[in-house]
Amino acid sequence: MKLEIKEKEGILTGVLCGRLDTAAAQQFEKDMQPLMGQANKPIVLDCTQLDFISSSGLRLFLALRKQTLAKGGSVTIKGVNPEIKQVFTITGFFSLFNFE
Amino acid sequence: MTETLHLINDIHDVPKLGAWVEGLGEKWELPMPQVFNLNLALEEAVVNVMNYAYPHEKGKPITVTANKDSEAFYFVIEDEGIPFDPTKAENPDITLDADERPIGGLGIFLVQELMSRISYERKDNKNILSLYV
Repeated sequence: MKLEIKEKEGILTGVLCGRLDTAAAQQFEKDMQPLMGQANKPIVLDCTQLDFISSSGLRLFLALRKQTLAKGGSVTIKGVNPEIKQVFTITGFFSLFNFE
Repeated sequence: MTETLHLINDIHDVPKLGAWVEGLGEKWELPMPQVFNLNLALEEAVVNVMNYAYPHEKGKPITVTANKDSEAFYFVIEDEGIPFDPTKAENPDITLDADERPIGGLGIFLVQELMSRISYERKDNKNILSLYV
């Protein structure tokens, strides 16, 4: 699991690549701290190359969403595959984020 | 057909489960969306065992068995930890807004949603959780 963070014209983009399973979530939580620290900005999570997510990953997405709510930013999720989209639907997460 | 995977209650053993399910998917020619769902349901169930059946001990066994024939397709997860019945877990409220949603509590809910049925029994000092496809 890799997270690459880019900033362009005031928009932060986190590009996720690989499997965000329970084992990977611990490192991802550390890697996503720059996003948590700038939750006053619009944040895009590019999930085009994300293969898998479990509830450990979902909780980190929610933590980021909560942080942007508190700080005035936003979270847009881009490019999720149909299986991950289904996970967002089942858990009611679909209505918590903007999707592109 | 039966396949068995032995894990210990270490979070770093979880990727072995993913690789095992992928292998089953190839061997048993399962459709990709089903492999994804099994991967997710089994991971959530196994991580729950690690967290709740073995809260303190390390190096404890968790056995996952896959069983498939013309009539049934199901998985059995066994551990020797403290009694823990995930079928009794309360469902989260998935209609809450982001600011009201508690962090966590989705694991067993996902297992229940992704499998057609789950059942639990305590036998010979073991937790035995069956997940039916």
